[in-house]
Amino acid sequence: MNKLKGALIHVKSNIGNTIIDLLEKSIDKGIFDAVIVPMKVPAGDSFVYVLVKDKSLIKDGVPLPPTMFVQGAKAVSSVTRLGEGNMKIAAVIRPCETRATIELSKFGQTNLENFTIISMDCPGVLPTSDFLKDPEKNMEIFNEAVKNWDDKKMRPVCQICDKSSMVSGDLHIGTLGAKKDTCFIISNSEKGNDIAEKLGINLKDNLDSWQTQVKKLSEEKKKKRIKAHKELKSKVEGIDNLVESFSQCINCHNCMRVCPVCFCRLCYFDSDKVKHNADDYLTRAEIKGSMRFLPDTTLFQMGRMMHMSLYCVSCGACEDACSMDIPVAQIFSMIADQTQGLFDYVSGRSLDEPVPLVAYKKEELHEMEDAND
Amino acid sequence: MTKALRINESTEKGIIEFLKFLLEKGKVKAVFSLKKISDNGAVAYSLITDPDELKDAVPFYPLMPVNAGKLLSRFTLKEGTRKPVIAVLKPCELRGFVELLKREQGSLENLYIISSICCGVFPSKTEVDGNAEKNLSKYWDTVKKGEISPDIRSVCKACEEFIPYTADLTVDYLGNNDIDKKCLIYLNNKNGEDLAKDMKGDFSEKELDRKKIDKIKEKRLAEKKKLYDKIDSKMKGIDGLVNVFGRCIGCHGCSKVCPICYCKLCEFESPDSEYSPSNYETELRKRGGLKVPPGTIYYHLGRITHIGISCVACGQCNDVCPVEIPVADIFKKVGESIQKMFDYIPGKDLEEEIPLVTFKQEEFAEVEE
Repeated sequence: MNKLKGALIHVKSNIGNTIIDLLEKSIDKGIFDAVIVPMKVPAGDSFVYVLVKDKSLIKDGVPLPPTMFVQGAKAVSSVTRLGEGNMKIAAVIRPCETRATIELSKFGQTNLENFTIISMDCPGVLPTSDFLKDPEKNMEIFNEAVKNWDDKKMRPVCQICDKSSMVSGDLHIGTLGAKKDTCFIISNSEKGNDIAEKLGINLKDNLDSWQTQVKKLSEEKKKKRIKAHKELKSKVEGIDNLVESFSQCINCHNCMRVCPVCFCRLCYFDSDKVKHNADDYLTRAEIKGSMRFLPDTTLFQMGRMMHMSLYCVSCGACEDACSMDIPVAQIFSMIADQTQGLFDYVSGRSLDEPVPLVAYKKEELHEMEDAND
Repeated sequence: MTKALRINESTEKGIIEFLKFLLEKGKVKAVFSLKKISDNGAVAYSLITDPDELKDAVPFYPLMPVNAGKLLSRFTLKEGTRKPVIAVLKPCELRGFVELLKREQGSLENLYIISSICCGVFPSKTEVDGNAEKNLSKYWDTVKKGEISPDIRSVCKACEEFIPYTADLTVDYLGNNDIDKKCLIYLNNKNGEDLAKDMKGDFSEKELDRKKIDKIKEKRLAEKKKLYDKIDSKMKGIDGLVNVFGRCIGCHGCSKVCPICYCKLCEFESPDSEYSPSNYETELRKRGGLKVPPGTIYYHLGRITHIGISCVACGQCNDVCPVEIPVADIFKKVGESIQKMFDYIPGKDLEEEIPLVTFKQEEFAEVEE
């Protein structure tokens, strides 16, 4: 965090409007050609990411929506997967969406060359199903929660998120530790510095109060996270508990489909590799006298875990999309902390950190050698 | 007249007895049926080979965790089963399977089907909320009276296709007041008769009570009208489409669970549905702003074009939609209107070809006119 530079700026009415104002100015000055920002759908019952060029439309943006219908990394990827393009685009997304975007970039699934990511201190998001019950009322609940930084109504993984202010994009809007009617604009990259300069923002202010507050909050959350994971572990540990935890899975693969880092076009578990002859299934059934058919639901969950837990950003999209209310995100966040911990890796922390299973360190070979002694 | 077997047990028990008989006599090597997986009402389809394991089987439990037609396709996709297997399916699951068979996505070889006059199933949420067991006694009461249970899926309430077309055996459920005492199974063909041979019970010739069936159909029809009116009021023109599908998150869960959507790689997940930065630039110049990822409504319109002719209105898509879009209600309505054009009932007859892949000379004349 030490290299971060920032400025304290005045907030117009609220943070959302401040961000919108910055975007409008940036469009005016030609810093960006277009922006990606969440907006309310016409029916008013959800929020979607919209790529906007027209300045008059930007004012309808809702930079901090109460829910995360689509993980922002997916929005960024849809625009940049096939190349950098000619437009300079800024995306306003949450920290976990930013981290997923960075992971996707490491896999060549986003091209951030002409892209600027603007994130903000995140209070969490409401579970989609809660929001849908009464969008208007839940908008109020969210606004109230933001004021007090109260996470009780947020997604379970938001309640234990210790990275809700992690800065890994280009610019970050810090609200924690800022005095009334002010916020911090924090730059994390050359790109960020450059934009600030063009906007006439002098990144010379002291960030101590923000950093102190962020540290305090993330330490609190970290404790909560460890505690929650410990409790969860006792429920899912061991093969019986594991099978039980996923027993209601209907293999719809919604979790995988909404996962920002599950980018395979054809999932291994949708491929022919997992389809067998009828007689093979019967032989399997005969061994136990009965077998569940859907076969391999637990295998799918474990396989997915193996494939993506190193890159999991604990955003909670999977849990929201699970039609059988399996606490997928909580389980995956627990595993992710452990697998990422093994490599001292934090998914999406930095573009410069190579993906553990793709990068090779010499000393890792020795570890392997020693293990075989 | 159809041959029928009456077992002097409750219907629930009678079917288990019958399936046990089939396994023990070696008439089948496995039973494919719903089975309880916990005490809170959670069920899963299972392939049962040990007769003792049938104690937890709940063949006609009112839940459909997965459309079993899709599962039978998975079971027989590579090749048909060499050993005889009996599958317990709901009529719409059977119709789904038949549509898949027409698309060469499975095999009927050595597969027997037992189905029922269907009373509908609870939405999966009922299982998740732990309310399935609680709602059961109320459910069976309405079944006996031939009424519509208030707790079943919206598409089940509005379903007129509750009698299976191609099952070897049909269990008499809906509108049968005697289900607590007797188990009546219609033996629809020679397969059915062969399976039932030597089973303890009374054999007779029976006919479905058409009057009773018509009465139930009338009630379902009234429900259907209500359902369709509701959709009509919500979904008018492009604005209506945007209002209803606007919150779709593009997870494609509806296609993943659909018994008809069998493509390994959906068109809407293929490179054809990805756009280059220059596409976005062009589009932005025209519109000023666009939703990303794009193509939400396009996807639903595409899917209805692809599968509408064969949609069996099972309701699976409604159940898995994370943002509670009434996909199944809409697809049932639109699907039905497409099917009517071709006088086609999906899954009714394996020999009947899918209208969009066959060509009739007079259709050409219609287009000319």
